[in-house]
Order: sequence, then structure tokens, then C-alpha cells
Amino acid sequence: MNNTKLIVSHAPFWHDGDSLFQLNLNYLLALLPAALFGIFQFGAPALGVIALSVSSAMLWEVLTNLASRKELSIGDLESAVIGLLFGLMIPATMPWWVVVVGTFVAVVIGKVIFGGVGANPFHPTLVGMAILMMSWPAFFDFDAAYVNYEFEYTALAPLAALKFQGASAIDAFPLGSLLAGREVGGIGSTFGIGLIIGGIYLMLRGYTRWEIVVSFLTGILLTAGLFHLGNSESYASPLFHLFSGYTLIGAFFLATENSSSPVNKISMLIYGFLGGFMIILMRNIGAYADGTVLAILLINLVNPLIDNIRPKALGKGVTNA
Amino acid sequence: MIKRSFFALSQPRLTYDLLDTDPAAPETIPVPASLTLLLPEAIDSTKQALIKQGGAVKKGEKLKLYEDSTAYVLAPAAGTIKAFDSYSDDFGNTATYILVKPDPARTGDEDAAEFEPSEDLQFASDYLGQLPGAPPFTDLADADYPIKTIVITGSDTDVMSDTCQYVCTAYTDEVVEGARLLKRITRIPKICITMPEKLQTNAGFGAIQTLKTSEVYPATLPAMVMKDHLDTLLLAGKTPEEMGVCFIRAEALVSLARVFKTRKPVFEKIVTLVDKAGTRHRLTAAIGTPLSKIFARFNVHINEQDRIIIGGPMRGFATFTPHHPVTPEMDTVIVQDRDTVAELADTPCVNCGECIRICPANIPVNLLVRHLEADQYEEAADKFDLESCIECGLCALVCKARIPLYQYIRLGKHELLILRADA
Repeated sequence: MNNTKLIVSHAPFWHDGDSLFQLNLNYLLALLPAALFGIFQFGAPALGVIALSVSSAMLWEVLTNLASRKELSIGDLESAVIGLLFGLMIPATMPWWVVVVGTFVAVVIGKVIFGGVGANPFHPTLVGMAILMMSWPAFFDFDAAYVNYEFEYTALAPLAALKFQGASAIDAFPLGSLLAGREVGGIGSTFGIGLIIGGIYLMLRGYTRWEIVVSFLTGILLTAGLFHLGNSESYASPLFHLFSGYTLIGAFFLATENSSSPVNKISMLIYGFLGGFMIILMRNIGAYADGTVLAILLINLVNPLIDNIRPKALGKGVTNA
Repeated sequence: MIKRSFFALSQPRLTYDLLDTDPAAPETIPVPASLTLLLPEAIDSTKQALIKQGGAVKKGEKLKLYEDSTAYVLAPAAGTIKAFDSYSDDFGNTATYILVKPDPARTGDEDAAEFEPSEDLQFASDYLGQLPGAPPFTDLADADYPIKTIVITGSDTDVMSDTCQYVCTAYTDEVVEGARLLKRITRIPKICITMPEKLQTNAGFGAIQTLKTSEVYPATLPAMVMKDHLDTLLLAGKTPEEMGVCFIRAEALVSLARVFKTRKPVFEKIVTLVDKAGTRHRLTAAIGTPLSKIFARFNVHINEQDRIIIGGPMRGFATFTPHHPVTPEMDTVIVQDRDTVAELADTPCVNCGECIRICPANIPVNLLVRHLEADQYEEAADKFDLESCIECGLCALVCKARIPLYQYIRLGKHELLILRADA
């Protein structure tokens, strides 16, 4: 026993067993219902887009790891989540090179150049989306993307219809079919029920912060409700906004991204509410049909400021002794 | 080991262990053939040491390194000094260890050092600071500390430990007697005792006010006891003693009562050993007994890469040798199999917010760790509440990135002290 080599480390000697791998694995699991539905609805091209998106995102990370001579970091699955989210937000007919460029922007410009995992100030997927939407807006026109498809429901992107035809156009989109994914849009962003189930799963597991989701949805409902109350002729109902476009995927999966969102309670509530509020402003007043991508990037931008609102630490400031 | 629950919407709760309703009496470990005493003073090679290799010691003899030293240990048995050398702890603080070889033949009165206890603070500070339970008499004797309240620790401060509860339950009378002596010695009127609110016990402490502590970790840490029960906020960067509160182990009072009853120093420390299977063994051993003797007694086999934790799983420290001695403040020893050692990682913080949710002191751990990783200790203290940390270790328990947060914070505080001392 004299020379027994013991492990010397420091307290605490327990860990609750959680890890980044678990976190991202649960994100992938939670996105699965929406992804499967997208593949079922849009067919093999959708599967191709998702597969290419996930694999190219992971490949970009490997390549940057190799280029910077660092240890491979794809094991934590974060780039897989970035790729999957990207794949779920684009139409199934997206050309392959746009997907590859998009994941390049998302992973390399959105994440790696800021310092990799945990250092990205914006959601990497949204950085990719935003730059692509500015560069090739034509590929994000869902009405044009699915022109060769035959659907048994109104094959119009609901938010674009609202923007260009006015509030009367939304009668073609009953809420039930929006929830059930009977609309055109991104591969995985149409199936409301799947996104809600996945999102609630993540909240219950503690992998997304429920405060952000709840306040985000409140922001949407409250702002859209006020617009609708003020003028129901020209503004759609709050529930329509809630179930259309990228709203649900944004609320449950994008706004809650760890590194780009606040962690203190009040900050989370403000952050989420601001996100919902901005989306409705962009949709109702701004030029974009769906403002989710830009609205969330905007709240990512103010996150460091908002997150300064935090409780006083023990033994600091006012004493109540 | 505590695992994350499947549904984790609310904070995880880590609870203290309660003492069994009918705890077994401790088993006595005989005085071994070699005792190791830890003296909290570094060897200074320019000075002439008072102790020397081969020198004879009497039982209870006060050993100190130099004429002007204040640190001391009492020899637990008569014998000879085999060796003494430098020891350094996990922060690089140096101390001295003294190996004493007890002589089983020398047990008579002539082999015991002179010891005449008197009820004054100077004597207590000079001779009783190394009693089992490590009573903080040097702090109590320090005129700089405005100590108004003494809190006896009856609730253990770390999970998995129950030594303090056991002492309070099994030796209630001696705790009360020790508290009476302590009051006479220190002339501090207010003495309270913490007890777990869920503990079913008949132990009554007479006039001592009982503070019922919650079972949720870290309710029994000094800062939390002060906040919840004494209406005193521990200001950032201050110690409880500076705020006028002194914490003392219940076992120190038992030792105190025995010293004044027998008029002899005592050396039997009560320790709880938790083996790899999680079974508790309670024992008493002389201070200085190497842990390896205790492991041998209870058939705990130490393999390569196992971990020996002194103190609890949340706040203790891992020793590098199975021969680490029993010390006056050692309540719990945990042996962790190498398969259950939690892995750490060097991934950066992803800002998941778990540490913020669980921190009892409202510290922005996510921002703090970024500064600590960059060695910005002053900024960490000024803007990110480094000094408010009560050192419970919960942030590192829940960290998804598996960052050794607690160690970063302790290191940060340590470096900050050095920085300020140099300034």
C-alpha cells in the first residue's frame, strides 16, 4: 500500500452526471418529431437536405478544428444541433450548395470564429439563416420553392400571404391545420404539435430555460393581441402568429440557445418578451413577412446588457442585519 | 452519488444525511506503532529547531518548532521522534509533519508531561487548540475579533457526514458541560447549537439555544446559519469571526469537558469512515493515527486511482497518501472507488445557467468563471462577487460543461489574498 497512487482532485467529488453531450443529444431528440414530420410531408428531398445540413455542419467544425490544430470538438454534438436546426428552417427544395454555404456561415462565422462552444454571441443557425436570406432571398420564398409539389391544402406560406394579401387571406389557414403542419414552410418548422411537444420536453428536462419560452410566447400573444384588438381588419389574430412561420421553432429552440441568452430570472423574462414583441412589430409594421430570424438576432445582441440585471450577491450592498 | 433527476424544471435538492435512530458505538483503534502529527508551521532552515530526530517525548508534551513559534501539537503518546519533514497541502501551504514512535512500555505517570488546566483563555489558546474537534481558541483569544456569539456545530456541514450529530446525541451531557466551561473561559454569554430539524432525538441542551437547521444543503454552512438564524449577513470577504460569530465543533466541547474532568489532555478523535459501498463505520483513533491502519481494521482495500476524501464530498479534500494522519478537525473519511470518480473537462462555459439557479449566494458564476479562467482576480472580486462565495460547491456539482468551478473560486480567493498581501 506504500506506493498506491491515488487520484487527487478537488471538491466537489460528486457530479450530477450531466454533460454537454446530454444537452445536445436532448435537443436532437426534441427536434426529431418535427424533422420526421417534415420528411414525411416533403419526401426524400427533405431527408436529403437535413442529412446534408447536419453532416456538413459537423464537417465544417472538423475542418476548422484541423485547421486550428485543436482537439476535435464535434463530440459534444453542438454542430449537429446547429446543422439540424438549419436544415429544419429551409425548404426541402434548397439546392445543395446553398445548404453547404449556409452551414459554413453558421458554424464557422457564427460559432468558431467567436471562440467555439459557449462563446457565440448569436445563435449560429440564425447567423447562417440571416446571411443567406440577405444573399439569396429567392431560395427562401416558400411559395416558389414548393411550386412543383401537390398539396391537399393551401400551398401558400401563411405569413407571406398575410403580408401581401392582407388579413383576409388568413381565412384559408385554420389554426388546426397550422398546428398539424398543413402549411408550407421550412422542413421542420411547420409541424406545430411536434415542436410544442419537443419544446415542452426540453423545458421539463431542464435543458431550456422555461422563463424565456414563456415570456417569448407571452410577448407574441400580447403584442399581436393588441394589434388585433386595435384593428382586426388588417392585423391577424395572435394565435395565427403563434402557429405560423418560424414562431414556434424560434420560441422553443432558437431564442433559448444557451450561449446567446440570459440566465438571470428577470433578464430572461425581458429577453423573451422583447423577442416576441419584435417579431410582431416586424410582421405587422416592418418589411419582412416573418421577422423571427432577425428578431432573435436582435435580442441576442442586447442579451449581455439585459443580463446585467441580476440579484445582489450575499453580503453585498444593503445590509439587513 | 447524486444523479440529475429526469425532470429538472426546478432546482435539484441535495439533502444532508441524518443520524441513524440507534447508532452503534464507535470502535476503538489501538495506538499504532507510528503516529504522524501535522504542525501548521513551515520548517525554517535558518533557525535551530527545538525538536530533533531521536528525541524523547512525553505523553501530552507540547511540541513546537522554534522558541518563538505559536503553532504547536501535543504528543498523543510517550515515545521518540523518528523524523520530521515538510508537508504541503493542496494549495501549496507548507506545514511540518512529525513522526512519533510510541513506546508501549512508557505509560506511567512519569511519562506524562505536566498539565494543569486552568479556566482562562490564555491557557486554552496555549494548550487546548489541538484537542479532538480543534476548538478555535486562538480566534477566541484574538482581541481583533469582536466575538459575541458562539455557535456549536451540531448539524454536520457536509452531506454524507453524521459525526457531529452523533457526538451531540451520544455525549449530550459532556457537550453541555463543555459549553458551560467555554462560557466561563471566554465570558461570551451567547452560545447556540445547530441541530437538524428532522433529527429525532431526545438530546436536550438545557439553556443552550437550539437552532433547527433545514435538511437542504447548504443550510448548515456558517454563512447560511448566520443569515437564517442569527440575522447577520456575512459581508463579502469577511470571515464569520470578523462578524462576531465563532463556530465550534460539538466534539471540541466534549474534549474540553473531559480535559477538565480528568485533568489530562485527550487525544481520541471520533471519525466516521464511509467505505466504497457507502457503509458507515464509526471509530475513535488517537490523533496522528495513519488512515491506512483504519482501512486495515475495516477491510477497506485501497486500489490504484481510488480517492480518499477527507471531509465531505462537497467541501472536503483528497489526500495523496493512505498514510494521511487523523487530525483534530477530521470528521469524515470517504473512500471513493476509481469507477465512481466524476470526470472533469476543460470545455468552456456554455452559459446554461444551472449554476445561477442553484447558487445560494446569488453569484453570477457564469461571468465569474470567465474572469477566473483569465486570471483576472481583482476584477472578479470587484464586479463579479468572488468574495461572496460561501464555498458550498453546488455550482460545480451541476455544471454541464464539467468545469471545476469550486476549485476556480477557491483558487481565485487564494490568489486574491496573495495579490492583496503583495500590494
